[in-house]
Amino acid sequence: MIIKIKQEWLLLTAFVVLALPPMQQFLEQSMVTHMLVQIPVLAIIGWMLGKKLPENWKSKITLWNRWGITGMVLAVIIMTYWMLPRVLDAAISEWHFELVKFVTVPIMGIALSLSWPLLNPIAQGVLKLEFWATFMRLGWLYLDLPDRLCANYLLSDQRILGQLLLLSGSAWAITWTLRIMFGIRIIKT
Amino acid sequence: MSGTAVASGKVEYTDSENRNALIAVKAHLIAGLSVFLLMMLGGLTMRAAQGTWIEIGVDLFYQIMTVHGVGVVGAAVIASTGVQWHFLRKYVRLSNAIFWTNFFIFLTGVVMILGSIFLGGYGGAWTFLYPLPAISMGAWSTGAAAVFQLGVLIIGVGLLILYLDFGRAILARYGSLARALGLTMLFGKEPVDPAHPKAVVASTMVLIVNFLGIAAGAVVLVMGLINLYNPEFQPDAMLMKNLIYFFGHVIINATIYASVIAVYELLPRYTGRPWKTNKVFLAAWFAIVFMVMGVYPHHLLMDFPMPAWAMIAAQVLSFGSGIPVLVVTGYGALMLVYRSGIKWSTTTKLLFLSMFGWAAGVIPAILDAMVTINRVFHNTLWVPGHFHFYLLLGLLPMIIGFTYYLAGEGDRNEQPKATDSLGFYAYLIGAFMTSMVFLASGANSIPRRWAVHMEEWVTFAQVGTIAAALVVLGTLLFTLRAIFILPGAANPR
Repeated sequence: MIIKIKQEWLLLTAFVVLALPPMQQFLEQSMVTHMLVQIPVLAIIGWMLGKKLPENWKSKITLWNRWGITGMVLAVIIMTYWMLPRVLDAAISEWHFELVKFVTVPIMGIALSLSWPLLNPIAQGVLKLEFWATFMRLGWLYLDLPDRLCANYLLSDQRILGQLLLLSGSAWAITWTLRIMFGIRIIKT
Repeated sequence: MSGTAVASGKVEYTDSENRNALIAVKAHLIAGLSVFLLMMLGGLTMRAAQGTWIEIGVDLFYQIMTVHGVGVVGAAVIASTGVQWHFLRKYVRLSNAIFWTNFFIFLTGVVMILGSIFLGGYGGAWTFLYPLPAISMGAWSTGAAAVFQLGVLIIGVGLLILYLDFGRAILARYGSLARALGLTMLFGKEPVDPAHPKAVVASTMVLIVNFLGIAAGAVVLVMGLINLYNPEFQPDAMLMKNLIYFFGHVIINATIYASVIAVYELLPRYTGRPWKTNKVFLAAWFAIVFMVMGVYPHHLLMDFPMPAWAMIAAQVLSFGSGIPVLVVTGYGALMLVYRSGIKWSTTTKLLFLSMFGWAAGVIPAILDAMVTINRVFHNTLWVPGHFHFYLLLGLLPMIIGFTYYLAGEGDRNEQPKATDSLGFYAYLIGAFMTSMVFLASGANSIPRRWAVHMEEWVTFAQVGTIAAALVVLGTLLFTLRAIFILPGAANPR
């Protein structure tokens, strides 16, 4: 017997699982899992939630989100904020920052999912390249900085994250190149 | 956009779109040529100062040297983009709005760069080589260096937007860049189409290399900015240099590949002979994609920590980089012109001259790319000799030739006037002399980037000043024509 569960419930379950103290502590004990697992999963939950929003909500939001600009600005502000090392530290040490993270990052995902399809393809391209460049810049920065950026994480953790960011950026570049150069889609979207 | 693609393969636009596009192209050419002229005046000033004919402060010399470098690269990019866009839009649907957007972003970047140099005193050369911008010893502030790098970054963003539009339009028509580049024909998956537009092949190549160049620039410029404000962060200087030269060399090198489209498109019209696309042509352009990106380490041959394989690759690729497209284009142009009964107008003379400048201009670079010669020559005036030859006699004649075509010679078959002939020969002699004096200076071990020259070197600088004055005269006549006649000229049919 196949039990049909609504996707919204699955998303809520995933969100609750992430918020449970053991899972939260497990993911936040390392800079790598904090930045490359917990935050992206929260954003993905938001993205999927954005897809499931009722149509009348979407049409009301669209009035305030022409060409996806408002939503993208909101997403970029939230993203930039959570890239600040101080804030990441604060999220570990202070519960209200943690709460803000669990609220704002899914909102960023929702904003992205509602705005990305409305964006001009050229603007999408510029943002994609900027995201890619951010991966490479941060990766390089984390590898080369002599000091810890986050008081809660070890220098070695920071370096591993740097390497992973550079690897992810490189993989992204290869995927993108294959797609526009030869029309090969590794990830079907 | 309300135009539609027609069966002939060319895109049709509405009259208002075409009018707007023509104005945009003319704006690019006038801006480009005006900046070139101003930069040449800067060059003339530097040569006169080295020749002891005028006196300028050392600080000002390095500021002029910086603005001269960045200005020429910027002018080359904006003018060559105008040439490329004019022809590419015939085959793929390009957006006028994006083209204008890039133009205004470019102007914003120019204002920032000028402010950083002449108000902030930045004089660390256009290459902003790390860690020089951060260690000015008081010559300029951190803010000035930052504004300079932000200006370059902003220009890069504008270009990126334009290239994304090129990419979107090319992918919409051809499905993949490989197909636009003709790889499916080259490797036998599709029959060779002799009418496959050369403008599309060249633009795809330029798009690929410049996109990657700008991506590298976007990373390295921000890392430089971080270092300016957080000196604790000290990135690997060798990696920074590699990325800076990858960005800088690709960008300036690609301008000639963008401008050569004018030769492909215009020479067949003047000779009345078609220039067919074939496998050799496609293979040459495919090879150049990699060569343009792979040759930049010839700027790093003096850096001993560079791995040996990179040096060897740089030397081999530099030897070969000019050959494929140059041979295909040069030989093709010669065959097109030979016994064609071509009427030599200023346009055709300039386009034909560009083939010579391109072919001969790479020879000093090939010599300099030999490790043993590079060790002696690279920090001498030999290198400016190479790029002045390449740009003054290769790139600029393509751009000015296209300007003349738009300014009337293309439509009314207008004959050159006495001022045009004076401009052409003053420019030709001046440009050739400028380059040869630089090369001779390099061969005599005169260093480059020196504000003050030793007494033994002064004569070279003085001859160079006379040559530069001739170049300025020729360019002034060309630019005046562009400013006064181009705005009212109709679109050649």
